[in-house]
Amino acid sequence: MVEASLALLIHPLQATEYSGESELLAACRRREIRAFEQVYLTHGGRLKSIAWRILGNRPDAEDAVQETFLKLYRGIEAFHAESNLGTWLCRILINACHDVERKRQRDAQAEPEEKTAGPKNQLPLRVALDQALERIHPRHRMVFLLFEVEGLRHAEIAAILEVPEGTSKAWLFEAKKELKRMLTETRR
Amino acid sequence: MILECGDLERALRTPELMPDMRAHAEGCAACRQQLYLWDEISRLAPGLHEEWESPFLWPRIQANLAAEPTHRRMPWWRWALAAATLVSLAAMLQPWMQPWRSGEFNNPAFLTERALQEVQQAEAAYSRSIEKLSALAAQNLEHSSSPTATAYRERLTMLDSGIAELKVTVESNRYNTYLQRELASLYRQKQQTLQEWLQNANHN
Repeated sequence: MVEASLALLIHPLQATEYSGESELLAACRRREIRAFEQVYLTHGGRLKSIAWRILGNRPDAEDAVQETFLKLYRGIEAFHAESNLGTWLCRILINACHDVERKRQRDAQAEPEEKTAGPKNQLPLRVALDQALERIHPRHRMVFLLFEVEGLRHAEIAAILEVPEGTSKAWLFEAKKELKRMLTETRR
Repeated sequence: MILECGDLERALRTPELMPDMRAHAEGCAACRQQLYLWDEISRLAPGLHEEWESPFLWPRIQANLAAEPTHRRMPWWRWALAAATLVSLAAMLQPWMQPWRSGEFNNPAFLTERALQEVQQAEAAYSRSIEKLSALAAQNLEHSSSPTATAYRERLTMLDSGIAELKVTVESNRYNTYLQRELASLYRQKQQTLQEWLQNANHN
């Protein structure tokens, strides 16, 4: 899984009709829907996973991904090639998730978490880790999610969260420390 | 180096110390358990990545993208901003243009009464335009908890405070062109800050 995520980052674009990311971006700027479809095929899976972790259910996660692509479409001119498209998408997605969360709070109709409907044959430690992750500080959770679960690098996380790279590293350490403490308590 | 149980956190922070910490853990069940959990967290984390089929998601996105206008109109706030900038430029140029026109170039450091009125009117109009911009930006700026939003809020608070203080000073030195220029400069900074935030919010 990590290898797959890393591969996406190192080779943001899989072999397609576009020869590289710059050509894909040029097509996106021309508002070619096929180019956006390619972006979706390349990054959609990871975006859904991140959104699901933040929002806790699949319909909301898919809404956030949809909103991300709308924002990408509307603001593609603002994207500068010096940053990674995947990183930029993550940043848009996280903001979109926060919008969904705010809307949900306003509507006060948040449905109970469906995450418990995951595979039943998980090892107990993984279940405990999954549950503990919900209870740690949100910003620590975000860095843990992006680094350990989705395989992003600290430089990319720093760009997404607009924090120094050292802060990303410090938050990851805090996340793991909190998780370790919770798992220790669980296992007593 | 010989490490003890109390060194665990320092060792976890410092990869170079880990071999010594692991050596200690061989004879310490508590530290062994802690190191095991630490490693397991990273080992299990990739398994928390969630995958599922979404056969309707791309068609939904595609339909939404197809419904988007290909060429977006310039947002109204940009027009407002352009107008505010013109008013501000006119206000700044007015004190210098006026004496040149009427041959009153002998006292360029101070504003004439008429020029002062024009500057004040322009300043009020500019201020109103910026306040409109400010209200627009406030919609998402106040609700955002991102570090960027916090930085923008702090900067705007600082600029507002500077503008308020300078206005008081200007009141007691109404003909001082330097103070008027300083005030205009603060307004410009506020305008730029709001503009940057709105562009940032638009892109995200």
